[in-house]
Amino acid sequence: MNWLSISSGAFLVAFVLYCAAFLFYVIAVIGRKWKNRDPQHHLRKWGRIAFICSSLGLAAHLAFFFTRWAGAGHIPASNMYEFMTLLGMMIMIAFTVLYAIYRAPLLGMFALPLTILIIAYAAVFPSEVQPLVPSLQSNWLRLHVTGAALGEAFFAVGFAAGLMYLLRVTDYNDKSASARRSQFWLEFSLYVLVVVAGFIITVFAFRGAGYEATFLREELTIDAYGNEQWTRETIEYQMPPIVKPHGSEPVSVRPFLGLDRPLFEAPAWMQGVNAGRKFNTVIWSVISGTILYGLLRLAARRPLGAVIHPLLEGIDPEDLDEISYRAIAIGFPIFTLGALIFAMIWAEQAWGRFWGWDPKEVWALITWLFYSAYLHLRLSHGWHGLRSSWLSVIGFLIVMFTLIGVNLIIAGLHSYAGVS
Amino acid sequence: MLENTKCECGHQNPPDTALCESCGKPLGTEALTDGPLEMRYDGVARRSQKSNPNLLDRIWSFFSSVKVAVVLIVITLIAAIFGTILPQENAFINFDPSWYEEHYGLAGKIYYMLGFSRTYESWWFITLLVMIGASLVICSLDRVVPLYRALNKQQVRKHIQFLTRQRVTYAADLEDDDAEWMRKLAEQFRKRRFRVRVEDNALLAEKNRFSRWGPYINHVGLIIFLLAVLARAIPGWQLDEYVGVREGEIAHIPETNYYVKNLDFEVEFYSDDELPERLKGTLRPKRFVTKAELYVCEANCGSTALEPVLRKVKEHDIVVNDPLEYKGLKLYQFDYDTTPRLKTIRPVLVDLKSGETYGPFELSILEPEPEYELGPYRLKLITRFLDFTVNADGVPGNKSSQPNAPAFLFLIEGPDLPEGGETFFYFPIPTDRERFGQDLINGELAERFDFRVTDMAHVEFLGDVSYLNVRVDRALPYIFAGAFISLIGLVMGFYWQHRRVWLRIDDGRLTLGAHTNKNWYGLRSEVAAALRSAGLEADPKSLDNGGKRR
Repeated sequence: MNWLSISSGAFLVAFVLYCAAFLFYVIAVIGRKWKNRDPQHHLRKWGRIAFICSSLGLAAHLAFFFTRWAGAGHIPASNMYEFMTLLGMMIMIAFTVLYAIYRAPLLGMFALPLTILIIAYAAVFPSEVQPLVPSLQSNWLRLHVTGAALGEAFFAVGFAAGLMYLLRVTDYNDKSASARRSQFWLEFSLYVLVVVAGFIITVFAFRGAGYEATFLREELTIDAYGNEQWTRETIEYQMPPIVKPHGSEPVSVRPFLGLDRPLFEAPAWMQGVNAGRKFNTVIWSVISGTILYGLLRLAARRPLGAVIHPLLEGIDPEDLDEISYRAIAIGFPIFTLGALIFAMIWAEQAWGRFWGWDPKEVWALITWLFYSAYLHLRLSHGWHGLRSSWLSVIGFLIVMFTLIGVNLIIAGLHSYAGVS
Repeated sequence: MLENTKCECGHQNPPDTALCESCGKPLGTEALTDGPLEMRYDGVARRSQKSNPNLLDRIWSFFSSVKVAVVLIVITLIAAIFGTILPQENAFINFDPSWYEEHYGLAGKIYYMLGFSRTYESWWFITLLVMIGASLVICSLDRVVPLYRALNKQQVRKHIQFLTRQRVTYAADLEDDDAEWMRKLAEQFRKRRFRVRVEDNALLAEKNRFSRWGPYINHVGLIIFLLAVLARAIPGWQLDEYVGVREGEIAHIPETNYYVKNLDFEVEFYSDDELPERLKGTLRPKRFVTKAELYVCEANCGSTALEPVLRKVKEHDIVVNDPLEYKGLKLYQFDYDTTPRLKTIRPVLVDLKSGETYGPFELSILEPEPEYELGPYRLKLITRFLDFTVNADGVPGNKSSQPNAPAFLFLIEGPDLPEGGETFFYFPIPTDRERFGQDLINGELAERFDFRVTDMAHVEFLGDVSYLNVRVDRALPYIFAGAFISLIGLVMGFYWQHRRVWLRIDDGRLTLGAHTNKNWYGLRSEVAAALRSAGLEADPKSLDNGGKRR
């Protein structure tokens, strides 16, 4: 028994406890209308059970974090797996802080699934401990990553509360154009979350089945001295290839539902070795997410928003609005310190410049500018309620793009972050 | 004619004041409605709201608008996104303008032509930053001065309308003695760390006023930061150079009076037992270190004829994340080259016909002698290449100044050779000999002579090259000072709230109004809790008077 095996055990425990806590929060909220009970009493009782459960989950998550730290000899925040689990943990911490201020068990019904989604996403990445390359051996970097994750976690809770606000106030009986638009975009936001879930399920399904396909790409390059050189790259898929990498030939493709060769080829501008595979993964995620969404719609026979909307009845939307704003207001200085100031100090030490307009840096700045616009609009321009909630949703989208999208689509110095 | 701006309480207000600076009675348009009051900056007149503005006033009021500030922020944000679509020019060490078209076709060409390949250095991006700076200065000044005046001379007793039209209000009829109630309530607010002032049956409780200065301190920090960024354009404030130093050698640092010596360079890789399964067998660097010494030149610095006089000023092991620092000059570990390269070899000349060998002789790759005497033969060096190549016209030349592929062209003179000798090409590295076809070039002579290195002890290699990035950034202290001031402002502004409660008792009737700059939920709970402790039942929600939230 060593630190790392304790650590992965704790991770599993945390995951299970989070799932259970989510269930309890749902019972706390929807059970208010069950017969023979006092709604306030029910909410208090189940709210407490759920909060204890989610706090135990957080304790297990902290145990995972610190035992992994002890086992690896460095703070677990250096690759995508570690960062995403850290982000999930920080969201739980942010949730706990907001819970302590507002005592709103309902927030758990949205914060918990978000955490579950993020740590499940983390599990998609290779989880082994990797020794650090020289540029990552810095205390400032550790502060930078932890601080940025905590700030972003508060933005995530702001998003959860903002989404709740939108689901609470959107009137599904209203047929006016503006109401329909609001219903559509809200439904679309939920669809995106389902697609993310679809992605995770697909990865684990094919991984469980041990699916593999291999492609070979040969490229002729002529170097400056006129020498011809063949570069051969092997590209491995863990999902059936709908699209093959540009300029490659299949070596082995295990048939899946009659699909025994790729249907088409990735366009030429997708040049990176992994571009074709990433594109294929995106296609699969959209397909499986859409199927999942379709099944949910079939079961409910109405928009998902319309299913959740009545559950939130009786909650004061103004409270949700304030929680959402408050989470962002708490997160903003932390984000400034962690994602920008510590990052500048580290960049100065590692590369001799505090700012280099690297895509990841720019996107951190974009996130910061966006939330500062949000705060100005809210604090001096009276944007609150609907508009402010939509901004919190867009803001979180920008955060996620900064964390994941930049690594997937735009490469930069931060590309070490281990997206594979 | 001048507008009469005197309030009924006797206070003379500046024109365009929304709430009397003294008693808080709503004035002007605020007096016409009866909803919750617009309490921003306590209703004082701001310069930007001046009537009959001149040009300067117009510019001032443009930049003092938060709406304009937000628009500027959003434009900057969108502009910044454009710069991340394709790599920026500064990501290349040697930039070639056709790169964009080659890699991204027409879209790449357009991107380059529109200047998005240099988004962050472009005049329009810098103009945006300057405009944000102007907005920061003017927005802050426009508000902080009147706000300071308003908060600095607050009256305790406010107009009754000022209280009832706050967003948080409460009214109740009291049964006991007025003064006794006032004492009880004052105590409750003091307990909650409010500063309480009581004057003739009126009370003002206030806390965390300093939090109101948070945004302005934040903005001051940002202004310092932006100015420091612009100051980097001052000549001499910035230096960004690269210097490569071979082990055991000393090199001049460009544009400075300093020299750096590389005593030793080491690169360490993780061993297989330190690596996880998937990475075993890969070279994962663990540490690069250049043991360096920094020298300052004291005499003969620019001279080519005389040796410079150097004095050692600092020694440091330069590691990634730990640069050598000396008086604002920083040397960073940037890159390294550990390709083995020949320094000297000790070959022998072999007479292939007789089997006789002459030598060995010491042949330095970097500094060869012009002539070598070997038994009856004499070698004259015609030319030497460090990195041999044959260009498109068939002319031999050097590809770089690094001794990657050394080659020597000798003139051999001696017995049985024509008058004036014969030329002989010698490639010391066996693969080069194959690659460039030494025997083919030398023709018949290749059957007579050869150079051979008979023992590895006769080969000496050059040390590794460590590449250092040399930086000077004099703006750095100001940049970080600005950033930290800004952070302090953010913390002050977001983690505390300025809360004020006014109350007055008129003939047994209590009227309360409360205001905060944000987080109304907390204010309502706090006021309700204070009332409850004093014996007045109040639900936090019922205190809400509606109105704009912020």
